Amino acid sequence: MSFDADVIVVGGGLAGLSAGIVSNREGLSTLVLERGEYSGSKNVSGGRMYVHALKKLVDIQDAPLERPIVRETYLFRCGSKEVTFSFYDPDSRNSYSVLRAKFDPWLAKKAEEEGVLISYETLVYDAVREGGGVTLRTNRGDLRAKLVIEADGVTAGVSRYLGVRRLDPDFLMLGVKEVVRPEVLPEEGEAKVLVGFLNGLLGGGFVYVNKDTLSIGATVKVSSLQKEKVLAREITEDLREKMGIKGEVLEYSAHLIPYYGFDNLPPLYAPNLLVTGDAAGLLINDGFVIRGMDLAIGSGMVAGQAAKKVLESGDATKTQVYEEMLKESFVMKDMMTARRAFQLMNSERLFKTYPDLLCRVMSRMFTVEGERRRLMDVVREELAGYNLTLSQVLRDLIKVM
Amino acid sequence: MDLLKRLGLNKYRIDKSSHIQVNLDICRTCVEKPCIKVCPAGTYERSGDVIEVHYERCLECGAALVACPFGAISFRFPEGGVSFRYG
Ligand SMILES: Cc1cc2nc3c(=O)[nH]c(=O)nc-3n(C[C@H](O)[C@H](O)[C@H](O)COP(=O)(O)OP(=O)(O)OC[C@H]3O[C@@H](n4cnc5c(N)ncnc54)[C@H](O)[C@@H]3O)c2cc1C
Ligand code: SF4
Repeated sequence: MSFDADVIVVGGGLAGLSAGIVSNREGLSTLVLERGEYSGSKNVSGGRMYVHALKKLVDIQDAPLERPIVRETYLFRCGSKEVTFSFYDPDSRNSYSVLRAKFDPWLAKKAEEEGVLISYETLVYDAVREGGGVTLRTNRGDLRAKLVIEADGVTAGVSRYLGVRRLDPDFLMLGVKEVVRPEVLPEEGEAKVLVGFLNGLLGGGFVYVNKDTLSIGATVKVSSLQKEKVLAREITEDLREKMGIKGEVLEYSAHLIPYYGFDNLPPLYAPNLLVTGDAAGLLINDGFVIRGMDLAIGSGMVAGQAAKKVLESGDATKTQVYEEMLKESFVMKDMMTARRAFQLMNSERLFKTYPDLLCRVMSRMFTVEGERRRLMDVVREELAGYNLTLSQVLRDLIKVM
Repeated sequence: MDLLKRLGLNKYRIDKSSHIQVNLDICRTCVEKPCIKVCPAGTYERSGDVIEVHYERCLECGAALVACPFGAISFRFPEGGVSFRYG
């Protein structure tokens, strides 16, 4: 059976483009399939990108990054009460706000300049293993490769078609987002984390400052949407109102987000298949920071290198080397570090109890009614009301640290 | 801002036929209809005992793949569909 390429990458987002670039650099004939009109046309992210991995992949001098994030703000809300704290570092250049419909086409162009073939408007709708490789069924006909790098994002079509996995609402979050041109634009790049703004849904909100727009949105557990009485389509509106953001709405978008954590990761490889980025569940969400983009780039790069090793070995079914290589990279190391945060995120304490508790404690500390209590005593008393002990809280705290 | 106006901000190339199919026999037995709550695009609307599917609204978020706990919804990505200008 003849093959159309050594490696076919399914998905031309961050993971796919990174895999394509590296695999091509490794001298493998590489084809990237992207269902959108252009890379980025179907992608959504918050989004704030940590650029360490990107810098290793390409020169980022002319990258269409929005603004460096120099201010981190946390907003906790319970009813009408609010606790805010902020960290400011004007020199920080390790993360930037980005808009994917601008960013991904830039990376795609970089890839094409290096000779990577990208076929747009090419939708993979089935995959079968045959003749020592994989046949991908697409709207443009069948394509065959010895090795497929899956980078089709959170819905992991290829893995599902090959019967390697299923999707589960408990391990998925829904992200909803608006891009707004505000009446007043903050002067510097800022990332806001919003806790307690989602009417009981398990999840958090975000606001990122771009060059001339704001990205505002929320990420919520799909299973909590199935249960609660809140409608997904009203979340962004409600949030924008609560934040008092006024201005022209430019776009409304939504996307699923993987929420597996190290202990529940889906298969990262199968015969003739390497899985990267969101498709492999490689995303860190510790309740405060979502990191998917740098892990997508990182895992894509490792997959490109692993592809070379697999094909050199002469047996494209022996793909385990990819997992071994991932374990050596920052991708798995960081997933491992964040594993306990995922355990905590799966409990309601983080989203409901702690914001409440924080407000109550603050509220009592700032209310003077004659008898001034010590902070520790107030905390202990309030904890008792939630059937929590201080050591439990400390254990949780250590999990997210 | 009204949902339809918000969706209208996006660029759509709508396929001729729906990329979402519903098994109405299963759908009829479901009381809560969680798909209506989960879908951010208002693609599913109650219509008597079952749901009506406005597939042209779909934002392709993928939630439809798991929105229905009874497996009544089968979903594949459209060939055309939505394109984002910002993302
Ligand atoms: C609301 C929201 C906020 C987020 N915030 C952040 C953040 O602040 N920071 C951060 O780092 N991450 C964030 N993320 C996560 C981040 O966006 C993802 O982790 C990242 O985009 C994953 O990259 P990927 O290349 O694996 O997948 P994707 O970016 O999803 O790319 C997959 C590509 O495959 C294509 N494709 C899919 N199926 C097929 C098919 N069958 N055939 C052909 N092509 C196909 C798609 O069109 C797409 O281009 C956020 C996500 C959301 C939704
Ligand atoms: S993919 Fe998302 S937007 Fe489209 S119908 Fe399903 S839930 Fe609604």
